[in-house]
Amino acid sequence: MFEDSEVLLEARHVTRRFPTSSGKELIACNDVNLKLYRGKTLGLVGESGCGKSTFMRFLVWLDKPTEGEIIYHGQDITKLKGKALHEMRQHIQMVFQDPSTSFNPKMKIRDIVCEPLLNYHRIRRSEKDRKARELLQMVDLPGDFADRYPHNMSGGQRQRVAIARALALEPEIIVMDEATSALDVSVQETIIQLITKLQREKNITIGFICHNLGFIQSFSHQIAVMYLGNIVEVMPGDQLSQVCCHPYSKALLNAVFDTKMDFSKKIEPIKGEPPSPLDVPAGCPFQDRCEHCKDRCRHEKPVLTEIGPGHEVACHLYGKGAEA
Amino acid sequence: MALLDIQNIDVSYGRHLTVKDCSIELEQGQICSVVGESGSGKTTVIRAVLGLLPGGGEVTRGDIVYDGKSLLKLSKREWRALRGHDISMIFQDSGAMMNQTRLIGGSFVEYIRTHEGISKQDAWKKGAEMLSRMRLPDPDRIMRSYPFQLSGGMRQRVGIAMGMTYQPKLLLADEPTSALDVTTQAQIVRQMMELRDEYGTSIIIVTHDIGVASYMADRVVVMKDGRIEDQGNRDHILNHSENEYTRRLIAAVPSLGGKRYV
Ligand SMILES: Nc1ncnc2c1ncn2[C@@H]1O[C@H](COP(=O)(O)OP(=O)(O)OP(=O)(O)O)[C@@H](O)[C@H]1O
Ligand SMILES: Nc1ncnc2c1ncn2[C@@H]1O[C@H](COP(=O)(O)OP(=O)(O)O)[C@@H](O)[C@H]1O
Ligand code: SF4
Ligand SMILES: [Mg+2]
Ligand SMILES: [Mg+2]
Repeated sequence: MFEDSEVLLEARHVTRRFPTSSGKELIACNDVNLKLYRGKTLGLVGESGCGKSTFMRFLVWLDKPTEGEIIYHGQDITKLKGKALHEMRQHIQMVFQDPSTSFNPKMKIRDIVCEPLLNYHRIRRSEKDRKARELLQMVDLPGDFADRYPHNMSGGQRQRVAIARALALEPEIIVMDEATSALDVSVQETIIQLITKLQREKNITIGFICHNLGFIQSFSHQIAVMYLGNIVEVMPGDQLSQVCCHPYSKALLNAVFDTKMDFSKKIEPIKGEPPSPLDVPAGCPFQDRCEHCKDRCRHEKPVLTEIGPGHEVACHLYGKGAEA
Repeated sequence: MALLDIQNIDVSYGRHLTVKDCSIELEQGQICSVVGESGSGKTTVIRAVLGLLPGGGEVTRGDIVYDGKSLLKLSKREWRALRGHDISMIFQDSGAMMNQTRLIGGSFVEYIRTHEGISKQDAWKKGAEMLSRMRLPDPDRIMRSYPFQLSGGMRQRVGIAMGMTYQPKLLLADEPTSALDVTTQAQIVRQMMELRDEYGTSIIIVTHDIGVASYMADRVVVMKDGRIEDQGNRDHILNHSENEYTRRLIAAVPSLGGKRYV
């Protein structure tokens, strides 16, 4: 989709099943195919619980898919072990949704941000102080925060620490899971300016999970929409509002609160409940909430089909055999 | 008389003065949105109202008056009756607040039973019903899950369901929707507005989503560096404020088809 850029990482037919106590299995990711391009950002959006984090966690070895492969530098990274895995790990870093649970509360910020650098012997212990300050300043935190503990900071400040730590190793890919949701819009803007600048300078590839479409389209080259474990639409980031056509993606667009909206309008969330992830219906996963649902949607599952440059959609309204 | 009157409070963590001279007045049925810099003390103010400042945190000046009574002088017992019932809170990150080794259902039942003398079975039913009102699919599966088995957004909705169980008179919500997708957010916003419309609940909501803040609020408070930098009604804050920080904040709001960085 980007002629000027190579595919850096590719997920092929990735599925993750979780066993549950009731005996039924829960499919958190269902046959996901996605590509990350070098130096570009993939934005992943969708309802909570739809499987976004589950997918991104594979990229940093926090979990493994039950089926499928993830190809990076010619290898299936889901099969890496031992030394090869340790080596590979430094190239893909993640910033979590909730940094309070990913930090050791007994460690000072200095040690937290420098930990990966020490692990990979990139700096000496004596350089820790200088490096920590440098990293903190990069994310607009005062260097003195190096002496604090994570619980002595606000949520937004902790999140910036997490970003500094992830950037420390200058990874090739950085995965950010709701990494800026806890930040005020002006800091959010600063962070985005920062990561897009680093992206340009170092050609970093970014996978970004976020719920704010207005925000994600402002820096994504590619946007994928997920529903109940399925990718339902992939589109070029700069054309989101023009080309977006899957009924679910459109519903997402309509649910955005904007400062220019009509405030007297009653908000209309998508009708109906998302079905239980344990009881995903046959056919289209969105059928029970879709205004355009036809007979065909109830028994035949739509597959992702290319309908324009860099634009794929999984819906019977579009592509081959579409009813006009 | 205002339902809640925060009168010129200072809040310190140890020797560090974090919130300075903060005053907010809230009538019954009013919604006040608090926006502003991260680290500016929004959570601190909300926690002070609820008497839940973390260790070392203290209101060192001013008073917080709820329904004619100073909250700073309440006994532990009085707090137990009030908190979670008349005054309820939804945390920024309900997931981390939950006991990780207990089933969601266990925590929910215990919460209900501190406020109501009902049987465990009835409390379980009530909890599951609140979850389904939050549009959570499979309330029973969720009641029988541990927090780590749910996604961040689902845990957050469980926290919100708990906070709304007793139709509180005052709801303090700290970034309740930051971890939620836009459609769930729309649902939660609607539910909070309904709580206000039906039961006259007064709400303070802290949020970074200026769109949500504006949609919900009768009044918007802008905080920066431990102080109230600016406040006013929605139209004033969005369109007419002369405060430099407010204008910078509004200008940074991302919008569809707006500014692009790449
Ligand atoms: N370890 C686990 N065991 C069982 N089920 C799990 C586990 N981890 C995730 N799930 C389930 O998988 C689904 C997807 O979860 P995931 O955390 O990926 O959602 P998400 O899209 O990131 O949501 P959010 O935006 O709320 O964070 C959910 O239904 C969740 O309950
Ligand atoms: N337990 C604590 N001890 C010391 N300082 C704290 C503590 N909690 C928060 N702070 C500091 O207080 C300020 C306000 O924090 P907080 O109320 O969490 O901000 P917000 O919610 O607006 O992001 C920040 O500078 C933060 O570093
Ligand atoms: S396939 Fe059918 S049900 Fe599914 S989104 Fe398209 S029109 Fe709606
Ligand atoms: Mg998630
Ligand atoms: Mg906060």
